[in-house]
Amino acid sequence: MEEAKIKGSQLFILIVLFEMGSALVVSLGTDAKQDAWMTILIGMAGGIFLYYFVYNRLFLFYPDIPLTSYIQKIIGKWLGRLLAIMYIIYFMYLAARVLRDFGELLTTTIYSNTPLLIINALMILTIVYAVHKGFEVVARIGELYFGLVYLLALAGFALVIFSGLIHLENLRPMLENGWMPILKVVAGQTLTFPFGEMIVFTMLLPYLNEPKKAKLVCISGMVLSGLNIAIAVVINTATLGVDLNARSPFPLLNTIGKIQIGNFIERLDVFFMLYLMIGGFFKITIFYYAAVVGTADIFRFKSHKKLCFPMGLIILFASMSIASNYAEHAKEGLKVVPIFLHWPFQILIPVMLLIIAYFRNRKKKPQNQST
Amino acid sequence: MKKIIVLFLLLLNSMTLLSGCWNQREMTDLAFIVAMGIDKGKNKNFDVSFQIVNPGNVSAGQNGGGQGLPIAVYKSSGDTLTEAARNATKKISRQLYYSHINVLVISEELAKEGVLNIIDACERDPGFRTTTEIVIAKDTSAEEIVSTLTILDKLPVLKITKELQSTEAMLGENLKVNVDDFVSSMISKGKNPALNGYKVMGKQSEARKASNLTVSTTEAYLKADGLAIFNKGRLVGWITQDKARGVVWVLGKVKSTDINLDWKGKKNALNVVPIRSKTKVSAKIINGHPVINVTIKEESWISEINTAINIDDPRVINQIQKKMEKTIKRQIIASIKEAQSLKCDVFGFGEKVHIANPKYWKKVQNNWDEHFANAKVIVEVKSYNRRAGVRRNPFWDALK
Repeated sequence: MEEAKIKGSQLFILIVLFEMGSALVVSLGTDAKQDAWMTILIGMAGGIFLYYFVYNRLFLFYPDIPLTSYIQKIIGKWLGRLLAIMYIIYFMYLAARVLRDFGELLTTTIYSNTPLLIINALMILTIVYAVHKGFEVVARIGELYFGLVYLLALAGFALVIFSGLIHLENLRPMLENGWMPILKVVAGQTLTFPFGEMIVFTMLLPYLNEPKKAKLVCISGMVLSGLNIAIAVVINTATLGVDLNARSPFPLLNTIGKIQIGNFIERLDVFFMLYLMIGGFFKITIFYYAAVVGTADIFRFKSHKKLCFPMGLIILFASMSIASNYAEHAKEGLKVVPIFLHWPFQILIPVMLLIIAYFRNRKKKPQNQST
Repeated sequence: MKKIIVLFLLLLNSMTLLSGCWNQREMTDLAFIVAMGIDKGKNKNFDVSFQIVNPGNVSAGQNGGGQGLPIAVYKSSGDTLTEAARNATKKISRQLYYSHINVLVISEELAKEGVLNIIDACERDPGFRTTTEIVIAKDTSAEEIVSTLTILDKLPVLKITKELQSTEAMLGENLKVNVDDFVSSMISKGKNPALNGYKVMGKQSEARKASNLTVSTTEAYLKADGLAIFNKGRLVGWITQDKARGVVWVLGKVKSTDINLDWKGKKNALNVVPIRSKTKVSAKIINGHPVINVTIKEESWISEINTAINIDDPRVINQIQKKMEKTIKRQIIASIKEAQSLKCDVFGFGEKVHIANPKYWKKVQNNWDEHFANAKVIVEVKSYNRRAGVRRNPFWDALK
């Protein structure tokens, strides 16, 4: 564990940036057609439920140590270590996925002639540097960029509205095929991505200077980011129509590309690119940082700094090798990862841990139950 | 000392990285395409003509730009659009740059065979903006349209885009339709796309000559004309003039237009100009048949009176309003009839049915064309005549 303390407001900002990260960029919940926005809100509710009843309880049992440490306390040293290492690999894999998303987007849209490796390498170098400087630095960068992201979002939002692009009738008819398709999308996608990914904050909550605030900060952060994503999905669907929204790999980019006011406020793709850089940066940074401190924690490194560079390299090469083309990458992300990785690591294992932790702590020190 | 050296090396390194470009492309190496015309090819599938800006000759500097023509048009052919574009590099000294295309012209001949093989290239290419407008070259080739020179606007392509914008706003017989709009209504089962027609009027042989720019009434000029109606990616018919206005009106895109009214036996005695208009379309299913309600509310002022009439009398204004409502209604019903005879739902009534009754829509969506052709459409127009310019009664009173 690094000696770092961050304020509640900083954690809040990190959560918002992390949750919105790549979720705003890719097409989310489009299987539910015009009801995609509902899947986001239901997913958010599910995520908050998961956080409040599972991650938060675990945190309250062990407020001073991260997930990788209390796993060992809960299910024993060796089994716990094994599971903790699996969590670290999981976080690194997710970091690599987001890095790939980010690079893929840039290479398909503006840097069509630049090799993916170069773009990813530049991004990961920046991130390695930030993580090397420590978590407090990352939190402070967050504060800096939070304002910028909101400025971009509000400006973009206003411009889309003033261009007369919003056609709310694209959102109708509501619930055309009933609730089933929506719940399917929620379970298969939006619950786990992005809201279930809050599991990574179980690694970071011990840094919070006032542990009592954790609940409030996390839930409000999830609500804000969930609302933002839902608004973005509403705007995308209303602007592009259901079909184009589903056929476009990056709907927000198309929405912003349609802004035309007068004859000079147009082609604002740069808004999207800026957001992408910021959101991608924080999402990768947080996954990667969690993996780094977890490793340092398990293998008793005095400082996490020595681990930054090698693990950054692993993420970089993982991001290149996890898929040989975008179709493969997207298919893995939508069909394989949620069921085989997200569900066990975000939901099944934490629930199991919670049950064991509950019984262990009841025997040992009953006063800790007052959660 | 060591620190300074490290810092220096770091800065040197960032110089190469932060300049940002993997491959740089200078302005002088790029050919900015502003319009692209696609014709049916002779040997290959497509003949593509590229209208390229000649930047030196359009700059609005104090010297009024250079001497030569503002555009250059190059032609190339290929079985696919990309092949044609790559073939063009054999003829053009610069790299083609697509991000500034404003207009895509498709020839009528090609449109009748189908445009499906063209559209994906325009959607997929990251450089090609989907806000590009599409027009159909009517009675002429797309190449003609692309290579016609225009006075007033130096760049012919700006003439097309500005003209569409102003005619949509002032007359309401044309529509601005971009690639995205076209694709989304093409794949929608409840809507058929309509595109603008463009014609070259006058002597076509003069259209591309610089001498065409030296006279005030040009020998050849471009003119917007009619709406081309598509079904399954194929041009199936034209809706022109008044009927086109009806289409634009139902789509709710008419901002202003003008209507001639007869008064007490005199033809075209009044001209009324709507300045604001709102269209509402809703659908209902009655006894298993779709019934479409079109409600139009417009505000207007009287811009011309060529007969003796007492417009100080509110009752007269009321009568004018009634006449106005009738005339507009007649126009709109005529254009709906026309679309129904083509079996092409350019109005997007199907989408309204979808919203109103998803279950019913599931049954009819696959042959909506037929249902549309027989659908009952109720048109209701409310006119509000507000004022009559800076004169009260016309001078015709005094002539009596």
